[in-house]
Amino acid sequence: MATILLVEDDDLVKDMLAQVLERGSHKVIKAHDGEEAAELLKNISPDIIVTDIIMPKKSGITLISEVKNKHPDMEIIAISGGGRLDPTGYLDLSESLGATVSFEKPIDNAALLMAIDLLLQGK
Amino acid sequence: MQNQRVHYIQRWLADIIAVFGVILTIFLWCFLFRHWTTLAIGILFSLLSGTSLRLVQVTKSRDRALKQFQHELTERIKVEESKQKLEIALLQNQKLQAIGTLSGGIAHDFNNLIYAIKGYVEMARDDVPKDGLVHKNLGKVLEAAQRGQELIARILAFGRNRQQYEFQPLHLKSVLESAISLLKPTIPSSVAIKLMDISNDPLIFGNQTQLHQVIVNLINNAVDAMDGEGVIIIQITHVSVKDDYLLQFPNIVNSDYCRIDISDTGHGMDQTTINRIYEPFFTTKEVGKGTGLGLSIVHTVVKEHRGEISVASQLGQGSTFTLLLPEYKENNDGHHFVS
Repeated sequence: MATILLVEDDDLVKDMLAQVLERGSHKVIKAHDGEEAAELLKNISPDIIVTDIIMPKKSGITLISEVKNKHPDMEIIAISGGGRLDPTGYLDLSESLGATVSFEKPIDNAALLMAIDLLLQGK
Repeated sequence: MQNQRVHYIQRWLADIIAVFGVILTIFLWCFLFRHWTTLAIGILFSLLSGTSLRLVQVTKSRDRALKQFQHELTERIKVEESKQKLEIALLQNQKLQAIGTLSGGIAHDFNNLIYAIKGYVEMARDDVPKDGLVHKNLGKVLEAAQRGQELIARILAFGRNRQQYEFQPLHLKSVLESAISLLKPTIPSSVAIKLMDISNDPLIFGNQTQLHQVIVNLINNAVDAMDGEGVIIIQITHVSVKDDYLLQFPNIVNSDYCRIDISDTGHGMDQTTINRIYEPFFTTKEVGKGTGLGLSIVHTVVKEHRGEISVASQLGQGSTFTLLLPEYKENNDGHHFVS
């Protein structure tokens, strides 16, 4: 059981992922974009952040670099649906900025839950 | 100066001969013959020879002018045709670029949608008994979503800046031969593929896998166009950097080119179809048979190889796809470069 901050601008994906994570018996805090997530992070400290990359206001890339700057030990999982630019390019970039794991949408949710468990064990 | 003098002599030659003839006749009449008939015949003959010479000269110069005019006209028509082809090619490029950008944007949103569908369905499937119809039907939804996902992957492969493929010097002939041998087992025996004899096997700089994809897509289209029966002829020719043929292409680089013609004896295409063949998702094949992405991918790959593609086709008379790829040269130090 962990507290997960879920950052995703697509409401359908956000709601679905929240349900998946809750079914994996995690506590989920939802944010619509990078800006809202940064605001929430002032008051809470989740175990893991799961963040989309392409979002309005503040992108996942900016969020990752900011979070890693303030909380170097924070575990971050980056997810991206690609398009616009090469999705793997974005994911490579997010990993080099400090995301621990990255997934390309559509993600195998079982693999995502497994990755979360592994990261929690490592803590 | 010399030329000018020759020109003047030529111009006045007829008059000089006529005048000289008349003077000679009068001279002879005065000192030798003293007969009026001789004088008349002499003068008439001189004038006639002058006039005929002038006539010949005029006809000749008119022929020359006509020939020059014809030559200029053909040149102008050629330039006009190249210009038209160039404009069409530029338009085609812009259209494909726009569609590429658009599909990149759409693909992102589609991935989100498909991800949501898959996620919800998987959860719903976990909540129902495993041996029931609902479980089975939800499995079908997942299958459909999976197919959607694969389609998006293909659009993305087309629309985004494709991943960097490793380029290396390749012998064009062996690329063609290996692509053909890859395809052979899938092609009906009633279709013959003829790779015409190549005297020199030119080098190009490219990616083997991508070029295989190009050849495979073009040959598959040819097989489909012939309804499984006919001949496909593949020919490689050398095009010199100075060749006027290259003028019709907008992005030609300063290099010799290898020209590959792939001709089929199929049902051909009308102009409306030709104008749209490189558009993603445009297909004339039956539903479920073609994705409409084959030629878009061919176009993208050829462009990535700094090449050009064109097609000539007429309904009922088959099609010929022509690929142009820059020839790759080796200099004396053993270093390679694209000329």
